[in-house]
Amino acid sequence: MDGNGQKRDTDRGETIIEVRNLTKKFGAKLVLDKINLSIEKGKTTVVIGPSGCGKTVLIKHFIVLQRPTQGEVYFKGERVDNLAERQLNSVRTHFGYLFQEGALFDSMTIAENIMFPIRQHAKNRDWRQIEEVIKVKLAMVGLDGFQNYFPARLSGGQRKRAALARAIALNPEVILYDEPTTGLDPIRSDIISELIVKLAKELGVTSIVVTHDMKSAYKVANRIIMLHNGRIVADGNADHIRNHPHPVVQQFINGQVSEDDLAVLRMSGSVASSQFLPRDFEL
Amino acid sequence: MIAVLGAKAVQDVVNAGRFGRFAWRSATTSARSCARRSTYPLIWTQMFIIGVHSVPVIMITGAFVGMTLAVQAYDQLAGMGLEEHLGVLINISVVKELGPVLAAVMLAGRIGGALTAELGTMNVTEQIDAVRSMGTDPVRYLVAPRLLACLLLTPVLTIFADLMGVVGGALVSFLQFGINSRAYWTFSASAVALWDVSVGIAKAFFFGGAIAIISCYKGFNCKEGAHGVGQACTEAFVASFISILALDFGLAVMFKAIYQVFWPIKSIVT
Repeated sequence: MDGNGQKRDTDRGETIIEVRNLTKKFGAKLVLDKINLSIEKGKTTVVIGPSGCGKTVLIKHFIVLQRPTQGEVYFKGERVDNLAERQLNSVRTHFGYLFQEGALFDSMTIAENIMFPIRQHAKNRDWRQIEEVIKVKLAMVGLDGFQNYFPARLSGGQRKRAALARAIALNPEVILYDEPTTGLDPIRSDIISELIVKLAKELGVTSIVVTHDMKSAYKVANRIIMLHNGRIVADGNADHIRNHPHPVVQQFINGQVSEDDLAVLRMSGSVASSQFLPRDFEL
Repeated sequence: MIAVLGAKAVQDVVNAGRFGRFAWRSATTSARSCARRSTYPLIWTQMFIIGVHSVPVIMITGAFVGMTLAVQAYDQLAGMGLEEHLGVLINISVVKELGPVLAAVMLAGRIGGALTAELGTMNVTEQIDAVRSMGTDPVRYLVAPRLLACLLLTPVLTIFADLMGVVGGALVSFLQFGINSRAYWTFSASAVALWDVSVGIAKAFFFGGAIAIISCYKGFNCKEGAHGVGQACTEAFVASFISILALDFGLAVMFKAIYQVFWPIKSIVT
């Protein structure tokens, strides 16, 4: 059941990640409010919602980069939110995380970036084999030949693809994408969306995508969840979301400004012109 | 007013607790890293950045300390006819106090600022979160090599500063004031003991640890944006500077107490 009491359309499979009553506060600000959610293995789940609604905070809890104020996080049935950092390190190797800006290590080349998790965790330290793995991972994202480039020399889309190659370096079971298409032009966005679909198919991974790009969301999602004011207001497949009766969902997916927001804008405009600009002020 | 002061006090206690926890974690992780051969290349890299690149500025700092001391102290000693004892004053001051302290202050500016800026930038661009997300402890990967390099190399750099301080002071004494070099070195050798040199080097070990932990902590906890990184660098330098002076005082008291305990034993043995 979603926030409107509607039944989800997705068929339930094996759960890989589960959060129960997840609440997160930063000081007095409530970001996530008693979220209950199960992520199915092998499916692509997209989390949508307006900027600042807590999407990134939610997926950071899955990998315990954030600790909940209240509630529990489970990975493969094991509670992980209460583990010590040292114990979490082995859990985190099951995840790949694509950060919003890539978060590539700017002092390393692309090859060294991809090599980083391999050298930290892989027992095999044969250089030739590691080089081959790097080549394969870069080929999967269409960047073979960029091994010796530094991140600063790549375009925004290339950086995201290189970061994706690093995220899949350890063959993770779950890939978390934090706004993978933000800041990219429509064609580069579409390339990233195609990559998400391709990796889900080829690697059979569970994907969780945070985005407010609805075109990308519809393309990649088996299931879409919408967050608003720290709660899940909609949960279902693409058609379910398209036809969702909740006005907040319709405003978001159609990119419409609410009447309340418009009223605030009109009010702030009139205040600015009346109080801060003198009548004889010329630009 | 009381509520604001209370909130500030609570926040300060929380921050002190966070720093204490970070310092403890850094120390224990660094101790464990000593046994991990995979950490050695990272330590070597940091030693090169922290140590080799700092040698010229540290030597210049040491030389000017010695030279200035000679110029300042000569008139007082010459007035009493004790100018040949100038080396005692210069060399004791350099090896025990000014060499370690000023070398550490120079390192706090050069190394501490760079550490905070580097880790702060990594923090705001989510690179530290990226390290964690790949199952690697950022304290082990980023802090431990820097802390170990600072602990190992600050005493070595202090020896360079001491050496140049001694040379600088001697050159000014001989060339500018015409002091007899044989008398200068004889009085210096009789007054400056191995204990004095050891105290200075031991102090440098603690200064290096303080600079590394404070700078890394500020980098790990810096606020977003260029302003946040800049502010963290400033705070790191100020905190390191005050810590160096406070540690210098504390260690001076401690070493004096140790000396007073063991000095009678030495007198009996010899």
